[in-house]
Amino acid sequence: MSDSAIFADLRAAVPDGLITAANELQTYECDGLTNFRTLPGAVVLPRTAEQVQAVVQACARHGVPFVARGAGTGLSGGALPAEKSVVISFARMNRILKIDIPNQRVEVQPGVINQHVTDAVAPYGYFYAPDPSSQSVCTIGGNVAENSGGAHCLKYGFTTTHVLGMDVVLPSGEMVQFGSSAPDAPGYDLTGLFVGSEGTLGVATKLTLRIVKRPETVQVLLAAFDSIRAAGQTVSDIIAAGMLPAALEIMDRLSAKASEAAVHPNYPVCEALLLVELDGPAAEVAAQIAEATALCNQNGAWEVRRAQTADERGLIWKGRKAAFAAVGRISPNYIVQDGVIPRTSLPDILDEITRMADAVSLSVANVFHAGDGNLHPLVLYDKAIPGQEQIALDLSYRILEACVDRGGSITGEHGVGREKQEAMGYMFSEPDLETMHRVRRAFDPLNLSNPDKVFPRTKLCGEKTGPYTPHPLESAGVAEYF
Amino acid sequence: MESVTSRIEEVKAAVSAGLVIERDGRAVASPASTQEVVALVRSADASGVGIEIRGAGTKRRWPGSISGDLLLETRALAGVREHSWQDLTATVGAGTIWSHMQKALAQHAQQVALDPLWPEQATVGGILATNDSGALRLKYGSLRDLVIGITLVLADGTVARSGGKVVKNVAGYDLHKLMIGAYGTLAVVTEVTFRLHSIPHSTQVWTLEATEADVCGAQMMKVLDSQLSVEAMQLRANAGGYALDVQLACMEEVMRAQLGMLDALAGVSGTLGVDMFSARHRLFETNGTVAKLTMLPSHIAKISAAVVRLGGESVAQASGILLARVPGVADLDRLRELLPPEGSLTVLRAADGLGTLPPVGTSAALMQEIKRRFDPKGTLNPGVVVGR
Repeated sequence: MSDSAIFADLRAAVPDGLITAANELQTYECDGLTNFRTLPGAVVLPRTAEQVQAVVQACARHGVPFVARGAGTGLSGGALPAEKSVVISFARMNRILKIDIPNQRVEVQPGVINQHVTDAVAPYGYFYAPDPSSQSVCTIGGNVAENSGGAHCLKYGFTTTHVLGMDVVLPSGEMVQFGSSAPDAPGYDLTGLFVGSEGTLGVATKLTLRIVKRPETVQVLLAAFDSIRAAGQTVSDIIAAGMLPAALEIMDRLSAKASEAAVHPNYPVCEALLLVELDGPAAEVAAQIAEATALCNQNGAWEVRRAQTADERGLIWKGRKAAFAAVGRISPNYIVQDGVIPRTSLPDILDEITRMADAVSLSVANVFHAGDGNLHPLVLYDKAIPGQEQIALDLSYRILEACVDRGGSITGEHGVGREKQEAMGYMFSEPDLETMHRVRRAFDPLNLSNPDKVFPRTKLCGEKTGPYTPHPLESAGVAEYF
Repeated sequence: MESVTSRIEEVKAAVSAGLVIERDGRAVASPASTQEVVALVRSADASGVGIEIRGAGTKRRWPGSISGDLLLETRALAGVREHSWQDLTATVGAGTIWSHMQKALAQHAQQVALDPLWPEQATVGGILATNDSGALRLKYGSLRDLVIGITLVLADGTVARSGGKVVKNVAGYDLHKLMIGAYGTLAVVTEVTFRLHSIPHSTQVWTLEATEADVCGAQMMKVLDSQLSVEAMQLRANAGGYALDVQLACMEEVMRAQLGMLDALAGVSGTLGVDMFSARHRLFETNGTVAKLTMLPSHIAKISAAVVRLGGESVAQASGILLARVPGVADLDRLRELLPPEGSLTVLRAADGLGTLPPVGTSAALMQEIKRRFDPKGTLNPGVVVGR
């Protein structure tokens, strides 16, 4: 994008919010997947939906791609700029437009930070349920693009469950409304289609969200097991007993050890640590805690601890949330993976991951949302040892394939973005992908909206997916990876 | 131009013998597998034969009349293919009758937590195509929250699946969401994977009756704002008065306390044990115009009262979906006037027995483009236009 014509159009669209200087553009060259970097051609900082529309119209006119960006915390390169593209930053569109407590609805601009929605409705006893661990900095717009999850989506659902309607600028520059604050808007469910489409179908400028009443009480259990299999069986037993915990998390010895070293949550030293969070009416939660404790004991837990205070609960969660970053203490480099398997395959896939890791003499730490089978294997390696990084990358990819082989998915919450485009070809057949492309072409025939993401592309010579590099926000202690 | 008969002969010749039969002067096929659907749809599309897709047919007239020359019945695409009860997921054929599926899942005390109309007849595919739901939606969400994967056949015979067999999955576009409420205009759905919920240990229905809609409406809003374990809630309205039904689902130990809290919120004691959650079926059992209205919960009492004033009756889910029967189509105009802009009104059954899909607003052109990309020749459910 060297021609000044589009610059002039962009300046006219957003007079006080155009960045074109190379040194300033560098801020936007990557997201949380920091090993991929591309300098955009320009960055715009619109304040209104009309300005966003004018920017997209200019891009459409000049055939220039655009990429929407929230806080840039994504882990799959979803906000990675396309070559010479226009990055549309939502940093200035961060207002909560309307709060309707009786109907449990909130209208926001896309740049609103996730946590701020909860902060705004907390005085009324409500919260916004999707809670990716970056929630103190990530934006609703980014959450919508990625269909973000979090530890509590087992019970409360993902972003898609909580987005009811939106205003969208289509890649043509046309402004349209999808869905409604009322249920079942007539027509195809374009809201459901748009959430999780990773910025490839257009740019949202306003979102209508559902908020949820805070439960009367929250309780957390911590149980120590001698094997992952026993912890995994306990998870199945809890679900089979008819309970729907707010969260069910497992950490293995390696990741628990790393967390202990980092934030001292006082975890018992064991092969598998199970964390159970139950919420709801106080009397019911008390009964369920007793039942869950009994199930832990039946499966051989040698210590079951109930957090007695909010502080104790906070400490247990802090240890869990610190796990990704803490692994940096026990390994110079590591890759964060995000795969999903049917929950019952948990013990088997962990055995297989161990086998695969042993075969190439690497270690894998495991942290997972056990309730919904979402694994985050952390492949540990040392870049300084020649060839080890490639071995780690291969192992990481083969773990994803093993997830797919068990009927699972290549991503539970981090998205495909740039990172997992190739793995899409392993999970989906050509006709599956071709059908998704029909949707893409209906929305974006010129392939301008976040191009070259999600779908497999021809791999360039020497190109590879990357190891984990801490995001600056993580290093600064502002956010944790989850 | 070839006659319809000769085009149907082409289809017959292209698929396995006996798949297309003649019944009451109409070509009918009941494919038993995704592959049979592929063969049928592909050859019909190539020969220019329109296909009407039908499950049990309970809601087939909702989108107006469908003009396909070939009737594709999904009844043979039936059965629970897989019930991974420990994973709380199940995959079923699209032609499976809803109650049959629920009965199979109940063997492990599980269910698809949705209470659609006519569960004894309606099929999974038809419920999906019309995005039907009931009062359980308040707690468990609608089909878009419960369907996690789908297998579909496009008009040109392309078989695609989206989602998968795991609840948490963000890989690729959610094509299954696009199929929900699409009235069969984009593809033939052959298999559906659901996330399941446990059937609650105990439930109890609490009912408040009143002569004023506002009394029930106010209590409904209080219950929505409470921390009670509400599973379903509906507001019934007819000439005899108004009733609010609240279904609690919680452990036995806390049921009594929760019922006490409902009484306290209302300021009177509710009646227990009257299960009227299938009351909305009655709206279809007598003459009149039936419509589906959507709105924010705070408007339900007002609209319910308006329906009664017009001489009709209604049943509204607390999530904001109201089914109303009014004497004539003209009465619907009065209701439309009362609906705020976020609401909608869909005629499910007018005097001629046919419904009408409402206009969709600013996204109409995009919806038509999606239809064109999925079914360029208009082979599937011709006559039905979702994006108007």
